[in-house]
Amino acid sequence: MLEIKNLHATVVGKPILKGLDLTVRAGEVHAIMGPNGAGKSTLGNVIAGREGYEVTDGEILFKGRNILELEPEERACEGLFLAFQYPVEIPGVNNTYFLRAALNAQRKYRGEPELDSMQFLKLVREKLKILHIDDDLMHRAVNEGFSGGEKKRNEIFQMAVLEPALAILDETDSGLDIDALRLVAQGVNRQRSEDRAMIVVTHYQRLLDHIVPDFVHVLADGRIVASGDADLARKLEEEGYAWLEDGGIQPLPADAPARSAAESGA
Amino acid sequence: MISAANRELARRWSEEVGRIAPDDAAPWLRELRESAVTAFASGGLPHRKVEAWKYTPMRLLEDRAPALPAAAASPGTATAPKPLVSGTPRVLLVDGLAAAVDGTLPDGVRLMPLREALEEHDKPIRELAQRVGLGGPSHAFTALNTAFIDRAQVLHVARGVDAGRVLLQWSFSDGAADRLDFARLFVLLDDDARLDLVEQFESAATHAGALNVMLQARLGDAARLEHTRVQRETDEAVLLTATSVEQGADSRYRYNGFDLGGGLVRHELYTELVGEGARSDLGGACVLDHRRHGETRISVDHAAPNCSSEQVFRGVLGGRSRGVFNGRALIREGADGSSVRQSNANLLLSPLAEMDTKPELEIYADEVEASHGATVGQLDETAVFYLRSRGLSDSQARRILTSAFCHVVSNRIADRELAERIGELLDGAMPEAGS
Repeated sequence: MLEIKNLHATVVGKPILKGLDLTVRAGEVHAIMGPNGAGKSTLGNVIAGREGYEVTDGEILFKGRNILELEPEERACEGLFLAFQYPVEIPGVNNTYFLRAALNAQRKYRGEPELDSMQFLKLVREKLKILHIDDDLMHRAVNEGFSGGEKKRNEIFQMAVLEPALAILDETDSGLDIDALRLVAQGVNRQRSEDRAMIVVTHYQRLLDHIVPDFVHVLADGRIVASGDADLARKLEEEGYAWLEDGGIQPLPADAPARSAAESGA
Repeated sequence: MISAANRELARRWSEEVGRIAPDDAAPWLRELRESAVTAFASGGLPHRKVEAWKYTPMRLLEDRAPALPAAAASPGTATAPKPLVSGTPRVLLVDGLAAAVDGTLPDGVRLMPLREALEEHDKPIRELAQRVGLGGPSHAFTALNTAFIDRAQVLHVARGVDAGRVLLQWSFSDGAADRLDFARLFVLLDDDARLDLVEQFESAATHAGALNVMLQARLGDAARLEHTRVQRETDEAVLLTATSVEQGADSRYRYNGFDLGGGLVRHELYTELVGEGARSDLGGACVLDHRRHGETRISVDHAAPNCSSEQVFRGVLGGRSRGVFNGRALIREGADGSSVRQSNANLLLSPLAEMDTKPELEIYADEVEASHGATVGQLDETAVFYLRSRGLSDSQARRILTSAFCHVVSNRIADRELAERIGELLDGAMPEAGS
């Protein structure tokens, strides 16, 4: 479904991703872990097509198609979804209105008939029920005045309505207490299916207790330096990230000069 | 520097108002009218050097040099567009003159010409009429309006009566293009009275006139005036309007204005909190495009303790348009326990659009809560990306965000149906980004 080859990307001229390779097949859940500044959020933003993130080398194939030449909205319409680390508050835009406009834009792109408001409400009610979300959410402005937990649940709710083929969850656990984390994780788990892939980007292992990944990758200094199964996440939790540099795991061959993760920012 | 065209227009208008043979219903009215004519003759028209008018492009009027109306003019014919609200009494005003009343006003609510109103309400009308400044170029249009005060209408709501909603539908006739018309309206709400006043300024597309409207309201103790104004004139229309409201104790005035059209639009809004515990909630959205000019000047005067006021104004500017916001709040000595909130935020969608915003807070009392903020900026690109990442096109995302910026004002309207209707009008009026 997703194939990333030798991806190099810069943010305001500064190299952040330095030769990242990743293959994700339908039905798989991949966790990307790594210290702050390793390039985790950059990866999500580059895949989603955010302005200011420049790909200098490599390619990203999504369903066999190079998406780097597509606009962010085209990528979304192709079935990509990024759950934001910091969902944006949009005063004055009603959540229902926004989501229907988005869903219909995607349906139109795919040549499917648009949903009228009755059809859309029916769909929304179903999804709200599955995710145990109060329908009060739909009457409010997008994320405005939402708590951290509400914002993240709104992201997961949008994902449920838009039904992407690939969802990237960018630090979805950040800022959540354990109850909110559990609710969000449940919402995500309900959307796991054999034709949907997910990339869960996180700093901490605790999210992965609730969303158990098929694969875990460690991202450090702009590259995947270690890959394994869910056990790798537990090892990281116990031992931190320092052991990577201490030679606990042999990093993949590096062509960029070594530097500490803390320096690389982003 | 006063241009020759400005002087010439002032001279001509001065001559024209001097020739009016008035139908003065009372001696004080004759005196007032005469002093207005004299004041205009010596003061002339405003120009760039007059502080309160320095941004207003008088050139548009000078070039057009419209005539003033005849004193005993009768209303022309106009095709009134679809009313903004239905099922309520509607007053049609063509070229500023009351042409017809559609529907029946409830008991205790009366709309009458000035002459008739003076029989019962001479005192409040006289007090309101006499307190308006007439001298100098900055009051030129007030003086001219007062010269035509004979045509004023008075809307009265008796004590304790809830008048419900009344629609004032203003439009220009075919013959309005070469004229500057005047209208004066006195709105008197006795103690505990209520009125929901909706004003619609809209004409058939080919009609472009110039109109000066002065609306003066007096709210008795605990009276409530809900006032919504939607203006959708063509790019050729000139609207110079002033609304002033005097508020008794515990009264409430809520204003929400939407300027979606007009070539030269200047609205002055004054509220005076004279009774303890009065509240003014003022909101407005001005959407500008092309070469249009939209100007809002507000002054809220806290003259009694424990009053509160709010100003929430939004501007969206495209093309080569120009917007002006001047929001003043004065808290007088002794008006302790006052609360003032003011916010003016503006979006510039085009590099050639220009916005001038100036908040003015003057505080001479103690224990005052005051906040103000003014911003001029562009759309938040993070929000644009957020919407695009969900599948909306760049232009769709920008249009939604721009509209939403103004929905903050339309959402203040308590009547959901009207709020949504105005929300749709706002959506339709948004300029294209980069236009």
